[in-house]
Amino acid sequence: MSHIQLDDLRKRFGDVEAVRGIDLEIEKGEFLVLVGPSGCGKSTTLRMLAGLEDISEGELRIADERVNGVAPKNRNVAMVFQNYALYPHMTAAENMKFGMKSAGDYGDDEIERRLDRAADILDIPELMERKPGELSGGERQRVAIGRALVREPEVFLLDEPLSNLDAKLRVQMRAELLKLHQELQTTTVYVTHDQTEAMTLGDRVAVLDAGQLQQVAEPQELYDFPANRFVAEFIGNPAMNLVPVDVVEDGGEVRAEHEGFSVGLPDQAGLDDAVGQSAHFGIRPEDVSLAGNLPADAPTHEITVSVTEPLGESLLMHCDVGGDEIQVKAEPRAEIRPGDDIEVGFDEERLHLFDQSGDAVYHSTSATPKTSEAPLTE
Amino acid sequence: MATNTESTAATARPELSDYLSDDLVIHGLLVFSIVLMGLPLILAVVMSTQTPSEVYEVTNVGIGSQGLANYQTALGEYNLGQYMWNSFVMASIIVVGKVALSLLAALALVYYRFPYERAVFMFILLTLLLPVPVRIVPLFQLMADLGWANSMLSITGPYIASATAVFLFRQHFMSIPASLVDNARLDGVGPFTFLVKVLIPMSKGMIAGVSVITFIYAWNQYLWPLVVISAQEKQVVQVGIRYLQGASQSGLTQWGLIMAGAVLALIPPLLVLVVLHRPLLKTFAIQQK
Amino acid sequence: MTEFTKPFDSSWQAYLLLVPTFAVLIAFLYYPAVETFRLSLYQTLLLGTQKAFVGLENFKILATSPEYQRSFVISFAFAAFVVVGTLVVSLFVSYLLFEVSRGTSSYLVAAIWPYALPTAVAATVLMFLMHPTLGVITHYLEALTGIELDWFTSGPLAFVVVGLVAIWKQLGYNIIFLVAALNNIPETLTESAKLDGVGRLKMLYKVYVPLISPTMVFLVVMDTIYAFFQTFPMVDLMTSGGPSGATNLLIYKLYRDAFEFNSLGKASAESIILFVIVAILMYVQLRVSESYTHYGA
Repeated sequence: MSHIQLDDLRKRFGDVEAVRGIDLEIEKGEFLVLVGPSGCGKSTTLRMLAGLEDISEGELRIADERVNGVAPKNRNVAMVFQNYALYPHMTAAENMKFGMKSAGDYGDDEIERRLDRAADILDIPELMERKPGELSGGERQRVAIGRALVREPEVFLLDEPLSNLDAKLRVQMRAELLKLHQELQTTTVYVTHDQTEAMTLGDRVAVLDAGQLQQVAEPQELYDFPANRFVAEFIGNPAMNLVPVDVVEDGGEVRAEHEGFSVGLPDQAGLDDAVGQSAHFGIRPEDVSLAGNLPADAPTHEITVSVTEPLGESLLMHCDVGGDEIQVKAEPRAEIRPGDDIEVGFDEERLHLFDQSGDAVYHSTSATPKTSEAPLTE
Repeated sequence: MATNTESTAATARPELSDYLSDDLVIHGLLVFSIVLMGLPLILAVVMSTQTPSEVYEVTNVGIGSQGLANYQTALGEYNLGQYMWNSFVMASIIVVGKVALSLLAALALVYYRFPYERAVFMFILLTLLLPVPVRIVPLFQLMADLGWANSMLSITGPYIASATAVFLFRQHFMSIPASLVDNARLDGVGPFTFLVKVLIPMSKGMIAGVSVITFIYAWNQYLWPLVVISAQEKQVVQVGIRYLQGASQSGLTQWGLIMAGAVLALIPPLLVLVVLHRPLLKTFAIQQK
Repeated sequence: MTEFTKPFDSSWQAYLLLVPTFAVLIAFLYYPAVETFRLSLYQTLLLGTQKAFVGLENFKILATSPEYQRSFVISFAFAAFVVVGTLVVSLFVSYLLFEVSRGTSSYLVAAIWPYALPTAVAATVLMFLMHPTLGVITHYLEALTGIELDWFTSGPLAFVVVGLVAIWKQLGYNIIFLVAALNNIPETLTESAKLDGVGRLKMLYKVYVPLISPTMVFLVVMDTIYAFFQTFPMVDLMTSGGPSGATNLLIYKLYRDAFEFNSLGKASAESIILFVIVAILMYVQLRVSESYTHYGA
């Protein structure tokens, strides 16, 4: 039995439908990430879970109880906000206690016990008497998380909690959030626009666009088998290359034909139906290799480098192939300059085809059937 | 051609030494302006120590022989102490009343969902069009009908609600991050707790600013107390200065005494301004938007 | 400004919180204002004990009364004098304050203190210092100019003296807003102009004044309202409207008609005219600030 159930959940603001029918089940103890570009409805969805926004249509169940219309405080959820939402005039301890005191259901001893515990878990006992103005961004975020912890909620809701931190601190806090989740095993819904954050944190990741779910899957599956062009381009950095091709059959072999290249497609589900159609051919920049790294008999294609971006651990090249641009990730320090023509080969296990409507019709490796297993722990 | 030479002259200008002397000129002009603005007050303070005969030597601008005696006389014999106390009580009641009422109204306007919100806000704002002179005759009659004439109620009651204060608190409340409000909702914080534990502590600067503005405004009241208070001992200090004007000694107007009264009537608001000018400036910065 | 869902939705609680404010506004602002309208249509007789409906007669009387016409013109001239005088002086001082980099906060307090100056105090002090025979300022001014400055008998002089008092008191308020507006100008603008070698005076009227024009408009409106409504103590203490009506501002005339001559109907009509003036000024302010916010100023 899943812990949180969203059944055709919708939210309208006037004439605008921000969330257009989301069906999603979240398991007990799972860390689910809602990811998508800004304005995709992810925050609105989270706020409906919290009870901060009314649900326009559909049903929301938490612990098998319908909670549409239940006041936020009665849902036993705690939320962490992007800007921390700490009261500037209260110390960290007062901030953490304020909600419990307002609820009035807890004795002073209980409050103190929980406060000490949360402070210990987050390793912030020495910050307890300071006010938010005297704390750094990372420390404030810890206090904000601590405030959620003391409520010992059934569900944690986090709304872009790391967005206000600098890049280095974000990576560190990410690891700490993971550790915390392993320790507490509380069901967590986490909203972010950052696909790296989504991939690293989520047991499963739900990708949203334009108020609709695009795909819900484990991170690696999302990366390897994107369900449509949106997911393919959104997940992974740099984004997957997508170029228009014609799928043709040529002497028993199916090939993707493009002005600049022709690639044989290994036989997999969906391939036969694609024959004779025009489609979008997808390959990730890291799945394109320089010819020198490939066996001598591997098929290669000539492309022209237009811009190079040394990223340190690799070299990103923007290249022209038959009038379309593709990005290629090569090893660093490769002696390649803009204007060079280079030979590259495509990893034939990592090819994708998307039809005209954007849905994935073919992946060159069969998707290992992974029906929702128990949440992964790394 | 003319513009050409002008611009070359201008570009040649920003040498370090030029800026230094330039700055000196600015400081000089500024000090001069400030002294000029303060001069009447300085003279008033000096003259407030003079006897009538010293005052009548027009060019005598030295400290007079009276010392602080004029102040003593003004406060005691001419009852200015009583008037100042009346002014102080009046201003304090108005400050406390206005802040309290406006906080409650702003709480409702910003944090409550209720029908006709917009109309309610407009209803409050439109009172900006109704300064006392626009309604002075009926207001005076109303005070008489209520039996409030000559009472503290009459000079405070009409002032304890204010569109400006409601507007300022509303603006300030609306600038509090939405997530803090969301958080309060998640915690199920009630309106009273929210007001006392969250809004008021987070509005200290604004409350101080509104209080300063209100205190200075209330202390400055002249026309309405003049109209509605006829019993001298109930009068406020601004009108009290008027009573001093009749003070004369062997045919000479006691200007020294009058100046002492004027200085006394200025001290409380001036003190408040100097001490609390920071919140005042911040509040004004919001008002204009 | 952030949007958020309002946490409380009990309408009766909201109205309860508004009741005190509403009670005061209705009882002491709206009701008397409406009464003023009503009274302005009546003529009061026998010291206000009896009244008769006369329609717009009071307004007609005012419109044709040379005394009221004079008072009307004088009030507008007075407002113009005060507004221009206050803005010119306070712009000058504010610009100096803005340009100095050192000691700004102590200079600021020394410049804005007239905001706390009660009007009656300002009037009393200057009345003495500019007294035709005893005033030390008058003494030196007369010595300097050789002109006899007896404003107790000269109408135009009295007008100017009362105007000066009004300007003096209002400087603080104006400087507060002008300094804030100048400080809001992005520093990069100032710096780039300085690099171009633009002189200080040129900076002021070519760069700064256009940028702070919304504040200037706001101050024109506030100063005008001040000149019409807050100047009563000066006239009352210094000139009693004289000599021969030269400082008989509308507000002073209203006071006398109402509380000395008990012409309550006529006084109410005068109140209505003042109301129209405030309404027009507020409307101007609203429109101007709206048009500026459209440009994101």
